[in-house]
Amino acid sequence: MSNPPQVRGLTAEPALGRTELTWTSAGFDPLIDHYRINATRGGRRPSKTQLVGKTVFPRLTHHDVDPAGERWTYTVSAVTDAGDIGRPSEPLTLDSVASVSATGRRLGSLGEFDGKSLEFQHSPAAYAKIPTDHPDGVIELPADAQAADCPYLLPGPGDSWAGRKAYRIRWEVEAEDPSSVCDIALWFVDTTRLGGRLDVIVNGDTALEIEIPKGATLGSRDGDATRHGSLMQRAAIERELPADIIQPGANIVELVLAEGGWVAWDGFGLYARQ
Amino acid sequence: MPRPQTTPSSPAAAGLPVSRRALLGLAGVTGTVLALGIDAPGATAAPVGDLPDGLFALGVASGAPRHDGLVLWTRLAPDPMAEDGHGGMARGAVGVKWEVATDESFDTVVADGEALATAELAHTVHPRVKGLDPSTAYFYRFTVGDQTSPVGRFTTLPAPGEIPESFSFATASCQAWYHGHFTAHKHLAQEEDLDLVVFLGDYIYEYGITEANLWRQGVEVAEPHTVTIETLEQYRLRYGLFKSDPHLQAVHRRAPAIAVWDDHEVENNYGGKVSTTGISDELFVHRMAVAYRAFYEHMPLEVSAIPDGPESHINAGVDVGGLARFSLLDCRQFRDPAPTSDEDQQSEDRTILGAEQEAWVTERLEESDALWNILGNGVVFTAVTDDRTEMWDGYPANRRRVLASMGRSRNAVMLSGDIHRHVASELKADFDDPDGPNVGVELVCSSIASNGDTEKEDGLQDDWLAHDYVKMYDGRRGYVHVTLTPDAMTSTFWTVPWIEADDTAPKELGARFVTDVDTATLRPL
Repeated sequence: MSNPPQVRGLTAEPALGRTELTWTSAGFDPLIDHYRINATRGGRRPSKTQLVGKTVFPRLTHHDVDPAGERWTYTVSAVTDAGDIGRPSEPLTLDSVASVSATGRRLGSLGEFDGKSLEFQHSPAAYAKIPTDHPDGVIELPADAQAADCPYLLPGPGDSWAGRKAYRIRWEVEAEDPSSVCDIALWFVDTTRLGGRLDVIVNGDTALEIEIPKGATLGSRDGDATRHGSLMQRAAIERELPADIIQPGANIVELVLAEGGWVAWDGFGLYARQ
Repeated sequence: MPRPQTTPSSPAAAGLPVSRRALLGLAGVTGTVLALGIDAPGATAAPVGDLPDGLFALGVASGAPRHDGLVLWTRLAPDPMAEDGHGGMARGAVGVKWEVATDESFDTVVADGEALATAELAHTVHPRVKGLDPSTAYFYRFTVGDQTSPVGRFTTLPAPGEIPESFSFATASCQAWYHGHFTAHKHLAQEEDLDLVVFLGDYIYEYGITEANLWRQGVEVAEPHTVTIETLEQYRLRYGLFKSDPHLQAVHRRAPAIAVWDDHEVENNYGGKVSTTGISDELFVHRMAVAYRAFYEHMPLEVSAIPDGPESHINAGVDVGGLARFSLLDCRQFRDPAPTSDEDQQSEDRTILGAEQEAWVTERLEESDALWNILGNGVVFTAVTDDRTEMWDGYPANRRRVLASMGRSRNAVMLSGDIHRHVASELKADFDDPDGPNVGVELVCSSIASNGDTEKEDGLQDDWLAHDYVKMYDGRRGYVHVTLTPDAMTSTFWTVPWIEADDTAPKELGARFVTDVDTATLRPL
C-alpha cells in the first residue's frame, strides 16, 4: 500500500471576505477521498484538529474570514481511499482583503454580509412570490427599507419563472455627508450558472456595469451558504463609484440585473471613503 | 466432483469492454487491492476476533451473470453510518470466505473461495464464481470468523445458444430514499419469477437530506447526511444509507443485478465532464472519480468497471442463451453537454454514447443471433419534446443511428427510467414519420421512491400522450416486471399507491402489455 502523498503547491489569493486556496492535485492513484484544510487565525501552524473544510477538489474557498480583514495560516492534507492521512503541506500565511463595509462609513446597506440570505424577503425558497409582488419588475426600497423589505433574489432575463425580464431595485439612499469617493458593496450567497451583468445606476446615470460570476444555482432554494458542505458559490464585489456621483441628501441607486438568471443577496451597501 | 476454480474475471472473454487498468494486468497499488477483492487464496487477514458484530449489515448481492457463474458482492460494514465512510471498520484487511451451494442449507457446496476486503475499497469484495452449471439454481453466502451473511440466491444463465422456455426480469430506477419507503422493492423481492434485476440509474441521490425533502416518515438522519455529497467518504456514507433499506437488500438477495448509472450517482444533470454547478471540468473530474469509485464498490460489477480515475466502463453485455441479449449503456460519461442552440442539438455529430460505446452497441445489435435484443440506459429514448434535452431528445442524430441498428436486429427493446413515471411506447424507425414502421418498444420504469406520493395523472401526461406511439403514462411509484418467451414479451407495470407514510401499500396493476415476437408493438392485456 502506498503512503498518502504530501500536498504540494499550496497557494492562496486573498479576497473580499474569503481566501481562495489552491494546490496541486495529488492525482488518482491512490484515489484521494478528500483533502483536509486546517487553519488558524494568526501566523502559527494549525493543529490537526483545527479543521475548516474538506473537499474533493484541489481548491477551497475559505469564507470564515472577518470582512474587516484578518491573518490566517493554512495547511492541507490528503486523505486516501483507505482513510490514511498524508503529511500536511507546508504552512501558508496571508492577510485577507478588508471590505468597504468595515473600512468605509455606511451611507446605507441591507443585509448582514454573513453568507446568508435569510434576513431578506421570501428567503430561502419562496421565489415564486417575487413576480407576483412585482409584476412590473421594479422593486421600490425607500430610505428606511430593511432587508425584510427586499426580495432575496434579483431576477434577470435568463430565467423564465420571473418573466424573462431584467428586474430593477430602486433604492433611496439618504446621504447626509458623502465624501467625493464612495464604494458600493454587492455580496451574493449564490448566482446562477448563467452568470450575468448587473448595472448600477445612480441618480439616472449608469455608474457601473458589473460582470456577475457564474454560481451554483442553489441559492434560490437555500438561504445559508455557511452550512457545512454547502456547494453554493458566494461572491463579493466591491467597486468605487464615479467621483461625486453621490450627492448630499436623497439619492436613487438602481440595481438592474441586465443579463443572467438571478442573484441571491447576502447584502448590499453604499459606503463613503473615510 | 471437482470444485470449480475461481479466477479474476476476464472481461474480454465475456465480450465486455476492457478497461485500461485491466489491460495493464491490474498493475499498481489499486490493481493489487482490486485483485485481492476478487480472489485472495492464502492472503493475510486480520485476526477475526478483533472485528465487531454485524459485519453484513448491508447485505449481499450478485451480478454480472453468465451461464457458468457470476460476481458475488458484500461489504463489511458493522456501522454503515460511520461518518468516515468506512462502515465502522478499522483499516486492516479482512479475509472473506464465500460459498455457493445447490441447497439453502449449504449441505452441497459446489464452489468456495476467499477474497480480501480492504480499506481501499471500503471493505467490499467482488469475487467472480466460475465453473457452475448453466440454468441452475444456487445459493451463496459469506463468512468472516463466526459471522455469516444472509443467504442470497441466483440462477445461472442458459448455455450459449440454448433457448429457455422463459426468462423473467424487472427494472428499477430512481431510489430517492428520503422521498419514501422502498415498498416497490418489497413487492419486487416477492416476485415468483425473477431471474434478473436491471437497475437503470439514480441508485443514490447526491442531494443533502433536510426537512425539505425528507418525506419518508418514521426515520431521522444525522447531520452528515444533510449536505450535498462530494467526497468519497460522503458517497460511501450515502450508499450505506440507501443500502441499509431492508427491501432493497431483499431484492439483491433474490436475484442477480446488472446496473448502469444516470446522473445522480455523481451530480444532477452532469454530462461528460461538465458539471452544472459552475465548477470547471478540470476540477469536476475529481468528484467524478470518487463517485465512480463508490458506485463500483457498492454494486456487484465486473472488474472491468473499476474506474481509472474519472474514467470507467460500466457498459456491459449479458446473453441469456439464444433467447435474449442485454446491452447496458452509459449515457452520462461520454455525452456531449447540453445543446447551446437548435443547430447544435440537431448536429449529426452530436453523441450521447460516445464513439467507442456506440460502435460496441451497434455490433451487439447488428451481429446478434438473439431473439430479443434489449438495451438498457438511464434516460428516455422515445421522442417526446425538443426541450427535453437531458433525454435522447437532446441527441436526435445519435437516436437515429441507434434506431437504425435496432431495425437491423430482432425484437429490439429499450429499458429506461429517470422520469419517475411509467411509460410504454413503440419506437418508430423515424420519429419524424409517426405513421412509419416500428423498430422496437420502450419500457420506461417509474421511480422506486423519487417524487414520493403522486397520482397517475400529474399534469405532464399530455406531452407524452400527444404521440400515438406512446401507449401508457402513469405517474405513480413502482417497477416493471417482464417475462420473455420465444413467442412474446409480457411487460407488467406495477405501482404502489403510497410510500411516504410507511411500507404497507399493496401493489396495484398499472398496465400490462404483450409484445408478440417480430411485431414491435404493445398490445394491452
